[in-house]
Amino acid sequence: MEMYLYIALFAPLAGSLFAALFSASPKTLIAGIVPSALLFVSFLSSLVLLVYVMGGETVHVEMMTWMATGDLYIPYGFLVDQVSATMMMVVTIVSTIVHIYSIGYMDHDKSFNRFFAWLSAFVFSMMILVMSDNFAGLFIGWEGVGLCSWALIGFWYHKESATWAANEAFIMNRIADLGMLIGIFLIYWNTGSLQYDKVFAAMSHVDIAIVSTIGIFLFIGAMGKSAQFPLHTWLADAMEGPTPVSALIHAATMVTAGVYLVVRANPIYDLIPDVGYFIACLGAFVAMFAASMALVNRDMKRIIAYSTLSQLGYMFVAAGLGAYWVALFHLMAHAFFKALLFLGAGNVMHAMNDELDPFKMGGLRHTMKGTFIMMTLASVALAGIFPLAGFFSKDLILEVAFIENHYILYTVLLLTAGMTAFYSFRLVALIFHGEERYKLFGFHPHEAYKYMLIAMSPLALLAVIAGAFKMTYFEMVTKVLPMTEYHVHNPIVYWIMTIGTQLFVIACILYAYRKYEVAKEDKKMEENIGYKILWNQYYIPHFYEEYISKPYRELSRIFWKDIDMKVVDATVDMVANVFYKTGEKTRGMQDGNLSSMLQLMVVGLVAMLALAAVYSIATVLVAG
Amino acid sequence: MDSILTILIFFPAVAGVLGFVVHKDSIRAYGISVAAIEFALSLVLWMGYDPNVSGMQFMESIPLIPEFGISYLLGVDGISLFIIVMASFFTMIGIATLGETKRIKDMIITLLFLQMTMIGVFASLDAILFYVFWELSLVPMLYIIGAWGGPLRIYASVKFFLYTFTGSLVMLVGMLFMAYFYQQATGVWSFSLLEWYRLILPENYQLWLFAAFFFGFAIKVPMFPFHTWLPYAHGQAPTIGSVLLAAVLLKMGTYAFVRFSLPLFPDASVFFMMPIAVLAIIMIIYTAMVAYAQEDLKQVIAYSSVSHMGVIILGTFALNVEGIAGSVFLMIGHGIVSGALFYLVGVIYDRRHTKMMREFGGLASVMPRYATIFGIMVMASVGLPLTINFVGEFLSLLGFYKQSHIMTLLAGIAIIVGAIYMLAAYKKVFFGEVTKEENKKLPDVNKREMFALIPLTVIALWLGIYPKPILEPISNSTESIVQLMHDKAITQEAKERIPNLVDEMSISRTSTQEAH
Repeated sequence: MEMYLYIALFAPLAGSLFAALFSASPKTLIAGIVPSALLFVSFLSSLVLLVYVMGGETVHVEMMTWMATGDLYIPYGFLVDQVSATMMMVVTIVSTIVHIYSIGYMDHDKSFNRFFAWLSAFVFSMMILVMSDNFAGLFIGWEGVGLCSWALIGFWYHKESATWAANEAFIMNRIADLGMLIGIFLIYWNTGSLQYDKVFAAMSHVDIAIVSTIGIFLFIGAMGKSAQFPLHTWLADAMEGPTPVSALIHAATMVTAGVYLVVRANPIYDLIPDVGYFIACLGAFVAMFAASMALVNRDMKRIIAYSTLSQLGYMFVAAGLGAYWVALFHLMAHAFFKALLFLGAGNVMHAMNDELDPFKMGGLRHTMKGTFIMMTLASVALAGIFPLAGFFSKDLILEVAFIENHYILYTVLLLTAGMTAFYSFRLVALIFHGEERYKLFGFHPHEAYKYMLIAMSPLALLAVIAGAFKMTYFEMVTKVLPMTEYHVHNPIVYWIMTIGTQLFVIACILYAYRKYEVAKEDKKMEENIGYKILWNQYYIPHFYEEYISKPYRELSRIFWKDIDMKVVDATVDMVANVFYKTGEKTRGMQDGNLSSMLQLMVVGLVAMLALAAVYSIATVLVAG
Repeated sequence: MDSILTILIFFPAVAGVLGFVVHKDSIRAYGISVAAIEFALSLVLWMGYDPNVSGMQFMESIPLIPEFGISYLLGVDGISLFIIVMASFFTMIGIATLGETKRIKDMIITLLFLQMTMIGVFASLDAILFYVFWELSLVPMLYIIGAWGGPLRIYASVKFFLYTFTGSLVMLVGMLFMAYFYQQATGVWSFSLLEWYRLILPENYQLWLFAAFFFGFAIKVPMFPFHTWLPYAHGQAPTIGSVLLAAVLLKMGTYAFVRFSLPLFPDASVFFMMPIAVLAIIMIIYTAMVAYAQEDLKQVIAYSSVSHMGVIILGTFALNVEGIAGSVFLMIGHGIVSGALFYLVGVIYDRRHTKMMREFGGLASVMPRYATIFGIMVMASVGLPLTINFVGEFLSLLGFYKQSHIMTLLAGIAIIVGAIYMLAAYKKVFFGEVTKEENKKLPDVNKREMFALIPLTVIALWLGIYPKPILEPISNSTESIVQLMHDKAITQEAKERIPNLVDEMSISRTSTQEAH
């Protein structure tokens, strides 16, 4: 099994290096095909490992030492258990599909080869993240995906907005990474190790206040990668990257790393339910907060990005309430339908010459039938309609909140489910239904390459049937995660809840269709203050720019020009100048003129004699 | 192997003297061969070094002035070994990749003399000998900046010289007092560091002596607020000068903290730990912000050096194995990375004769290889895992976390502010459209430049992925220093702050055995 582990892990790296060999040369198809094929190999190996761990076994290897000094010992160690095998499946399935899709999507890009080098490097980092058996290894992957995300958001580096967004994402993530690093330090000094098994075993002997601190700091790390409030602004801006990147990194895999961390560290969070409750509250808040911004946005990719943010909130609610397997299940289902949605959006963008405003589209269902079907499927799954994937995973989170008696959380999530349905179908209606407004703007849309659609189809299939794996999955992951089943015991309550939710969601969908089937600009609504707040993303980006970035720039300038130059350095020069000036001033004394020399000598003599006299008198007086 | 250190020190100097008679046309080949032999010798030293021994190796001792206990005493341990190897490595690639330089003969001879002083500092175990090399190293650098520097070179070189010289004089007074106390306690004079290690001084003596040494070291590092000579020196120095200054000469200060201050004055080290940590945090955050405000690419790197030195200082004063080993490792890491970054700035300066970032933009498409290597070094400087700097930074901060949580949290801001100025600079130079006509046809890095850049890139990644070959010897030598400090400590606080490894050693042995 070790061999499969190494193949699953290193095949993406090999693909990345292979593509990197061609990074300076013009586009070659092979630089896309080889990494895709290697990823497929990685997928197959992950599948073998999945089947193996389903039997209750785990694979644990230690490749070599990374850092060892003092009592610290960090190896490159990898662990495939039921949780990491699930993540590996998600990562390899989505990334293989995105790779194949990208061969078509990036077809006309002159940096085709560089794209695949980075994309495969990302998959490698992500595999390290989910397969490491210790917190330091997790951190390697954690920073690695951050680096690849930076390079891929800023992939079209001639665009100012893209490179700006790339740097924003990197720096915001670094803020959170500091929290994660502190969490790691705390773990080391309190348990003497960073290996998961040792840390979790030792955790029960650690003072509960320290465990809480560890939990909080690790969660700060998770907040950055998973773009939780207040570190969320980078995710929407990250949509500057190519759309396959958004599908893979900013929807399916990297942004879920925070959820994975909380799930992985479940023995820690189990000890501190208060911190967990805070995570759940923040998650519910973000779910609604992000969904509200998606309601009014007029940028196709940003709408989907906010939807991702919102769904991450759902996952954190589940994870925070201790329903780790539910969180992981929604992570998996979400990865499939959200990646599908993004890839569909990519097709639309291609068709519309990178136009993102859905108000300029409309009626595309005639020309883009395949894309239309798949995006609708993904939206239905996202809205949580039976029997698609979202129904099984998202409604489960609602049930968890209900059963754990957090009725406020439940209400928030229910309302958010309605909003989700609304904005998803607002988008579908605007893009695919109604009049063909794009003709006004002179676009000539066309369907994407056939094999891109074929590449997407496994995701469509999974978005439909993923719910069917629920019981198999449950039995598998509960070998490592707490085994709590969430059932509403009263059948009447259960059916009212389920059917009620379904009806509510369907009503929201119909409302979205009615309102946006005919896309007319609603001037009155746009005057509304609430609309303006949502349109400006609650003025948070503005606030960050005005009250953090600008003061930082200004303060840096002051530190340099006014403090470093005018105070610190000027003081040094002043000291030097005092010596210099003293020398200059007293140089006259050393002019070599005999008479002035004699004068000075007399002055000196008198002064010395006077001193001697005073000294001797003083001695006599003291002695006397 | 008996006198390899002597050969390492004086071979470049002798070769430098002979260099005066070498013809101008063949001086380059001559310089490269000398530096290559020297580098090979340093590798021989590394091969001969036994990583399992924590104490001094390759010791040489010749009495010079027996009445005062001054001797020619050399030796290396895991802490100094790799800095010596790095010094000879940088001299070699520095000479080999020297571009069009006026008076190239003088330059090469100066570099060879500089190499003698650099290796001398790190191999000396006698305080006076150490002081002699420490001061001598100023002279070649003064000459390099003053003769081959930019428009403000005289001001910059004089400032560099006088500033560091002043600090060193205070340090010399401290050394004389230390020897005097030793004579008072034992009845014989000695300047041998190893003898000094055995002397336990009362705490108030330690405080004064610590302060005197601190002054000399802090200016060299340079620590805030003594850092302002550095931007001038870097700003005016030619590329080779900046590379050696950043990579090796600055390490003298941090190395001296580990070699002198900690083991000689353990109680004073604990006493001054928090004030120094405050200075280190100011260095980290304040200079990082100053770096962000810069308009000149080279100044960004210069200020970033100060910021990174802050992390090194913090790790040193963690006073435990993790922190000190991390800080020594970061000395190597920072040497490689900042040396490479200064070299990269030199590459672009050779082509455009400007270092102003606003003159560039969009270079990623014009010079892709250059952009890639620069990008790797930027990421190493930012401290991404699997690059050399991460190991040192992680261990330094991890070590200090044991001493103070809140201070480490503040110092950890380094990873944020570091990313801000580095990425901003990278974006300004490499991203965007190519706007200037002059930049459209810039040639990518050539073979000669690759000769320097490829090894540096390989080292920056290799030691990040697999730091063991040098981390292990460093760690072993650090353990003996920490144990010495713990044994010598007088005050209760120092005993608690500095861990006792003798008990823990047995525990850690078993736990590592279990792990295997």
